[in-house]
Amino acid sequence: MMSSGRIAQHRNYGEIMARHERDVKIKRIVKAFMYFLLIAFIILLFMIVRSVQSKKDTPTNSGKAKTTSLVITSPKGETS
Amino acid sequence: MSDDEIKEEYLILEKARKDPRAFGLLYEKHFDKIFNFIYRQTDDEDLTADLCSQTFLLALNNLEKYEFRGVPFSAWLYRIASNEVNKHYRKEKQTKVFSIEEGKVRELFGQANEEWDEELIQRLLQYLKDLPTEMLEVLELRFFEDKDFKEIAFILNITESGAKMRTYRALDRLRKSFNLRIKYDGKE
Repeated sequence: MMSSGRIAQHRNYGEIMARHERDVKIKRIVKAFMYFLLIAFIILLFMIVRSVQSKKDTPTNSGKAKTTSLVITSPKGETS
Repeated sequence: MSDDEIKEEYLILEKARKDPRAFGLLYEKHFDKIFNFIYRQTDDEDLTADLCSQTFLLALNNLEKYEFRGVPFSAWLYRIASNEVNKHYRKEKQTKVFSIEEGKVRELFGQANEEWDEELIQRLLQYLKDLPTEMLEVLELRFFEDKDFKEIAFILNITESGAKMRTYRALDRLRKSFNLRIKYDGKE
């Protein structure tokens, strides 16, 4: 068993408090970052859903009649 | 530890949850015991100081999670300390060290005032060193730290009957190997 005097040399509550405060700060930063990520993810999800929805709502060209343009070229290079 | 002391500690804990500076009282109160508890398992002063600081830091950081389970607050500190020591040995891949004090060994066998055969003491110390870690842990807490079985069970995260069984088994082995009379719980 070590003597109390010798153990007292290792006693430093100030250091524990400082480390605790630093840990609390890091925890807060991590928590804020996680919230930021969560909100960013929700916004991204919302934007994806909205763009998919808008694509569905715009009419496609499939209903239009197909037209073909014909270009006749003469040997001289003139077009008619 | 009396009920009043446990209550008093709980009040300090409640206060410390709001203001971490109040935890300083518990730090001062338990530091020496936790330090010695770790030192016996490491035999290294600097390492002990690190693990001890880590123990109190973890306790302070997790104060919100602490709940009273019928054992003194110190049992929670011993549990954290024990986990930190085990974690250290796992990380370093080293074999756990137990330093046993001769005086405590003499006390354990209730023969402190009798003249001891040096050879027997050395044999006993060697025998204790060779005991499985799980048995030595229980013996240490029971006889060197004066913990009751409920606290030992909480600290080592085992059942109370498991703690009793390990202690009795270890003492039985000692009785048989050394033909000693060991006074324990009023029985021999």
